[in-house]
Amino acid sequence: MTSPYITKSIIEAAVGLVVINAGEKSNAMTVSMYSEVAHHPTALWVSIHKSSFTHSLIQDQPNFSLVVLHQRQSDIAIQCGTVSGRDQSKCSLLDLYRTNNGFLFLRSALASTACRVRESIDLGEHTLFIADILEAEVESRTSHLRQLLLSDITENALAR
Amino acid sequence: MRWPGRTIWDTKVQDVCGIITAAFEGEVYLFATASFAQVSLDPPMVIINPNRTYGIDQAIKNSRRFAINVLPASSRELMIRLMRTRRRQSSKEHILGLKIVVNEHAIPYLEENLRTIFCEVQRSIASGDRGLYIGKVLESRENPALGRSLPLLFSQATDLSKCPRLRRVIRTSASLTGVLDQLKTLRQKLRPLPPPNIALTTYEEAGATSEEMQRILTIDPVDRGRKIHPAPAVRVPSGGIGICIVGTGWGQNHAKYLRMAKPDLRLFVCGRQREKTDRVARSLRAEGAFYSLEEAAGDDRVNALTVALPHHLHREAVEIAAQAQKHVLVEKPIATTLDDADRMIRSANEAGVILMVAEDMHFRPAIQKTVELIESGAIGEPLYLLAHAGGIRRPSGWAADQELMGGGVLMDIGIHYVRAIRLLMGEPKTVLATRAMQINNRMSGEDSAQVVFSSDVGWQAHLLCSWSSYRGHLPDIVLVGDKGTVHLWPGATILDYYPIAPRLLPKLVSYVRPYSLQERLNRPILQRNRIRLAHRDGSGYLAEMQEFLSAVMQNRRPATPAVDARRDLEIILACYSALSSQQRISIP
Repeated sequence: MTSPYITKSIIEAAVGLVVINAGEKSNAMTVSMYSEVAHHPTALWVSIHKSSFTHSLIQDQPNFSLVVLHQRQSDIAIQCGTVSGRDQSKCSLLDLYRTNNGFLFLRSALASTACRVRESIDLGEHTLFIADILEAEVESRTSHLRQLLLSDITENALAR
Repeated sequence: MRWPGRTIWDTKVQDVCGIITAAFEGEVYLFATASFAQVSLDPPMVIINPNRTYGIDQAIKNSRRFAINVLPASSRELMIRLMRTRRRQSSKEHILGLKIVVNEHAIPYLEENLRTIFCEVQRSIASGDRGLYIGKVLESRENPALGRSLPLLFSQATDLSKCPRLRRVIRTSASLTGVLDQLKTLRQKLRPLPPPNIALTTYEEAGATSEEMQRILTIDPVDRGRKIHPAPAVRVPSGGIGICIVGTGWGQNHAKYLRMAKPDLRLFVCGRQREKTDRVARSLRAEGAFYSLEEAAGDDRVNALTVALPHHLHREAVEIAAQAQKHVLVEKPIATTLDDADRMIRSANEAGVILMVAEDMHFRPAIQKTVELIESGAIGEPLYLLAHAGGIRRPSGWAADQELMGGGVLMDIGIHYVRAIRLLMGEPKTVLATRAMQINNRMSGEDSAQVVFSSDVGWQAHLLCSWSSYRGHLPDIVLVGDKGTVHLWPGATILDYYPIAPRLLPKLVSYVRPYSLQERLNRPILQRNRIRLAHRDGSGYLAEMQEFLSAVMQNRRPATPAVDARRDLEIILACYSALSSQQRISIP
């Protein structure tokens, strides 16, 4: 796998998915640029490339889910990180479920978090979205596993 | 089974661990973090979010530069120790024994890490209780020695168990077999949790509103008020040495501990009254007796003197010893006036001899251990100190004379606790002193007094000194921090530590019903963590003599130089000004 997010990343990072439920336009995209913003108000950030389908969807509506994958989910990361949502409906390939508030969460992920964008900051080729945390769910059956790391994906891709 | 997330940590967005380093005004700041990440690839940029109540935030704001030191999985202990270190602790790198290097970008960094990313702040974004900084990457340096090691992850660093592997095995089995879910369900039945509210629960556990931030930041986020540090016991070197104790009263106590510190030392006694001096010399198996200070100081067999004379005679005794090129240990207080103290320090410096003041608090093992607990973060921020220096004493002679004593109980006993306060809390800034009616009218100085010290870094200390009260079975110092309380017992080799977070037994007892039974079971001892100190010398007297002998034999500066004692005296004199004016006094 030769994604620039792997070849150009200078920091080892955990990998997750940004999942957007926008009716027919739902999409899931692999991300490794996200983290916490503050404890009060509780918020996180995610950085998304402007050319991506997800970017255009978030700009249309502010709600998204951040799914943190575990170490055995590199296939999902590769699946959602190599094809554009414009070309393929990636959500249909994932074991997603809908929360009471309409967010799409991934079954068996380490954690899924519902977010609403509060602020977007232009960083050139990327946009930084700062989002309030609305709700989250954790999966106890996978709680002993660690996060999927960028290096796991490289190793997995090399193994193929 | 899926469970609702209750805090921001349940989102699992904290992943790779690192230490952010930055420097400002010559000081290095460290901050443990698991929430940094790259935010853009070309040009490479990163984001960090240090807590605004930590000194690192100010350092980054001012210097505009920082480094992210990515930790390898093997650095779990370091990460835990740094996370536990108290927020306002200064010089954390020394406490943690870290080697800090400064690179060509003038950014401090740790050598032992997986990767270091040197950054320059491009933008800061207002973000509540965290400072969100976007940094342009100036350089990224990999540590080839660690190769392709995995980074430390937050879930590993927050596993505080002593056997993390065993815990991992248990957790994995519990998670795979569903036992974890059953336990969670049982707990929910026993003590139902309120509906999840991530924002509120996170705030309650570790957040701060802007008003709270402002209140916290009214004082410097780093405690720079600590100027002195307790001294550990040292080994006395072998070799011959002659010590003359000057004063046949408390001087005998000096002799006892000198002998314990160095059984083969040559001991001499000096006193004005021949008969008593000879008797004391015989009982101490001394090699000789002197009847004047000049005679003792001038004898070639004597290398150093320990002075236990009435306070007003300290200056003269030190000057005579210094003139004869003899090292001196003088009892506290160093003198009764600052002018005398300055003259003593000057004469010792000019003669090139050691002048040490006998202050056992500086060597008391319980004080040392408490300072260790403070530095490790176990107590949190030390905020309140209560000292009770009590005991029945009926002073007579010079000790009952306010002028010769330089005061009363504050000058004689209070000064020890001033040193303890300085060691444990830092330098006091103001003092308020008061006293009720005198109990013992046979002394001209005060027999009891109360003093409240305040600092400009947010702590207060209350000292009650009395020669007219039985201390009973009470700790003489109680130190209260925002994460725990410590009780220090006079002369004892134990220390009681009560963490603020409930330990296992009190937690279990909290489930007991009915409440009347819970109340009976809920004993303070359940929460107590009694620490036994390795040293048998609970008072610190022995360590004090060991330090003096070592300093003399190695001709080095003692661990507590005379200027420390001069400062103690300055603070005590400020207490007397406050006592007479009934006003809060600024300590110079």
